[in-house]
Formats: sequence, C-alpha cells, structure tokens
Amino acid sequence: MGARRVAVTGIGVVSALGNSLEEFRRSLAGACSGVRPLPAEIALGSGVQVGALVAWDPAAHFKGPEAGALDRVAQFALASAGEALAASGLINTDLAAAGRNRIGVYWGTGMGGAHTLEAAYSSVYGKNDFRLRPLSVVMGMNNAAASNVALKWGLRGPFANFSTACSSSAMAIGEAMQAIRHGRADAVVAGGAEALLTPGMLAAWQALRTLAPADAADPSASSKPFDKRRGGLVLGEGAAALVLEEESHARARGARIHAFITGYGNTCDAAHMSKPDRDGQVRAMRQALADSGLVPEAIGYINAHGTATIVGDVVECEAIRAVFEKTDVPVSSTKSMHGHLLGGAGALEMAAALMPFADGILPPTAHLEQPDPACVVRHVACKAEQLEPPRAVMSNSFAFGGSNVVLIAERA
Amino acid sequence: MDTLARIKDLATKELALDPAKIDPNAPLADLGVDSLTFIEFMFKVEDEFGVKVSDEDLRKIKCLADLERHVAASLQAAGKA
Repeated sequence: MGARRVAVTGIGVVSALGNSLEEFRRSLAGACSGVRPLPAEIALGSGVQVGALVAWDPAAHFKGPEAGALDRVAQFALASAGEALAASGLINTDLAAAGRNRIGVYWGTGMGGAHTLEAAYSSVYGKNDFRLRPLSVVMGMNNAAASNVALKWGLRGPFANFSTACSSSAMAIGEAMQAIRHGRADAVVAGGAEALLTPGMLAAWQALRTLAPADAADPSASSKPFDKRRGGLVLGEGAAALVLEEESHARARGARIHAFITGYGNTCDAAHMSKPDRDGQVRAMRQALADSGLVPEAIGYINAHGTATIVGDVVECEAIRAVFEKTDVPVSSTKSMHGHLLGGAGALEMAAALMPFADGILPPTAHLEQPDPACVVRHVACKAEQLEPPRAVMSNSFAFGGSNVVLIAERA
Repeated sequence: MDTLARIKDLATKELALDPAKIDPNAPLADLGVDSLTFIEFMFKVEDEFGVKVSDEDLRKIKCLADLERHVAASLQAAGKA
C-alpha cells in the first residue's frame, strides 16, 4: 500500500466560535473565546458556572418538523457535514449510486443523544410519566448522528461510529484514513459531534471535580490551558466534519485539497481510568510520526489536547518534550476558546490544526498570561502568530479510559 | 375551527404535509406517515386538544378521519365539546 494518499477536500464546523469554518477560524485568529456563563436553565443546581454553548436555531438549518426528530447532537453533525460536503463539491456532481457505495461515514461522539436521553429520564423519574416519545431510542442512540449523515446524502460505503470519550472523533478520522488507504472507500465523511450540556450531565461532570470555575473578572477566560492559574476544563458542544478523499479521486474532479492526513497513532495507557499517562501519549505521537514517515523536525505546529486540568497539561508537555527533544515546535490548546468538545474535540481541533496551511496563522492558547513552569513547551500564547506555512502539523487527543490518538496532516 | 380543520392544520405543520393533498380518509401510510411518526404526531394532538389516546385506541386509527372521530368523542366525553 502507501500509494493511496488521503486528502482533505472539505471542512465543516459548528462551534461556540461560530457555525462555519470561516467564523471558527476568524475567532481563533483573533483569540476570541466562546466561553460564557451558563444560563440558569441549563446549569440548574449542577454548580457548573461556564460553558461554550453553540448559538443554535434549528429552524435555520432544518425544514418544518425535521429538527424535532433529531437530537441536538445529530443537528450539529448534519450541519457540519453539510458544510464540509458543499465545500468539497463531492455530492454536487451527479454522483451515481455506485459512487455513493464508495463513500463512507466515520463518526465519533462520547455521549450521543444526551438531550434525548435526559428528556426521557426526566419524564420517567421526574414526572412518573412512562409514555416516552417513540423516537427516543433512535434519537438517543450513540450512532444516530452518523446514521443521519449517511441517510441524508445516501452515503452507502463503510460506516463506523467510535465512542472513546475525548479521542472519539480523532479516532474516526484516523480509521477513515485507513479505510481509504486500504481501498475500502474513495471518500469518507469523518468527524464527530457532542451536545451534552444538560443539567444531569453537568452534575455528573461537576462530581468529577475537574471543571474550571468561572474566572471572576472575565468568564470568557475561564479555560486556561498551561497557565499556572488554570483550574480545570470548560465543557463545550458542537461538531466538525472533514471530507477525506483518495488523492487521485479528488484530483480527477478538480477538487481543492486543503491538506493530506498522513499519520495516525493509536495507543491505550492501560494504567488508570482518568489520570493521563506520559508513556501512552509518547507512544501515540511516535506511532503517528512513523506512520507519516516524518521526523519530529517536520512538525511545525501541535494542537495539544491541553484541557487545562492540573495534571493533564503537565503530563502532555512532558510527553511532547520527550518526542520533540531537539525541536522547539509551537504548541497551543484552542480549548481555551471553543471549550472541550469531548467526543467532538479531535475533529474540531483538526479543523484548527489545519489553519496554518491556509495562511500560516497558528491559533493561540488564549489567556496564557502566566505559563506554568511545569508546562515547558514553546507556547503560542495569548495571540495568534503568523509564520511560513509549516510542512506538517499534529493534533493530540487523549481520553478518559486511557485512549490516545494522534493525527498528523501535511501541507498539500 | 372545527376538529378536522385543526387536525389538518397540525398535520401540515408537524408532518410537513401539503394541505391541498391531505385526504382525511387516505391510509396514513399513503400520506407518507410511518407508524413511529404517527405516534409522535399523536403526542402533539393530545397536547393540542387536551385529550389522551390509549395505545389500544391508537391501533384502531388508520386515517385522519378516524383520528378526528376519536378526538371528537373524547372531547364530548370530557364535556369539552
């Protein structure tokens, strides 16, 4: 193998920084944060103070009753996939059924239809009303978002749905790349979505004692990866989709190629359910480098997992230093602006990591005014930097449960 | 508005049906309404009219005219009509 290269020909985004790739990247370039105080009706008694909510009007995206049959997470998935497919031009051509049999959907989500499930539990336990919506199962199931994407565009090729917490959608992209490399598909809509900002889920996260309190002076600065004032992660919601396409397939139809996905590392810590492990992360980064055939010096930007937890940021910086010992690769965590999308994080952060290829702009770690001396890497702090577009970029996704996924993309 | 007109109105909105093409006596499947969608629709009907439709009664409803008769009877029984 090795002959089949995997191009990115379309990108779509739904995020607290805007519901298009353009708005998302403009916010990242301007170091604008989408983190806000959570409305009381969402936080209820959970004690969670801030989140990165998507400004969302279903009627702007779906006709008539269509939205009522889709969980919020599936709505996000469809909107991001729609933008990516439209940008790629893949479906605009008169694509015959045989062609659609060669296009797959690989998706990732941590919780799936959390809003649907919580509404059902609220009815059963809160109101003693057991008469639930008949669509509860098909709206709540974990693969509903992916299935809706396949259904909407008639994508009948290989299909997979990954649920490995915070690495879910990075894994979806990595495995989609493998499927194209191995000839199982010509193109795959790959990405992920998360929409779990519900009172019950927030209470569960709060119980984990890993969420950041609101920054009293500026709530939008509550997510502070790598900063010594950091106090935990800020949950977000949204989705991102990439159209991945075999290079000759893309070139034959004159598609614009944003980048190539060339490296995929996938390891498990097998050490602890929630505490990150340096060795697992190092192995995943080295695996991705080996897969792409690149030396560490070729990587010109790392979009870190960087959740802003006390332990996690230190371990990741140690892991990066171990792999990139001879190089001062710029690192940032854009979670400082779009929050932590959990199952959707890897895909959204790949959309951020590809930014430098377009115009050389490295998105920053916003609010990083006081770097933690224990987090020694070459930070892109507070403001975006403009450099020569790098040859390659890396995106890290490290999950609860010990799953580590690292992706490498190369300039087109 | 009479009961059937309100049901047709609701069907237009919730089931995205073309009001000009709604035949109250047509089987629901012919209107493109599958069984799950119809149960979802019944929840809206119950909210709209303030009535409850049992699962047993639900099985007997094959078209919008059946539904209208059932709702009208429920309203009458409840003294709302």
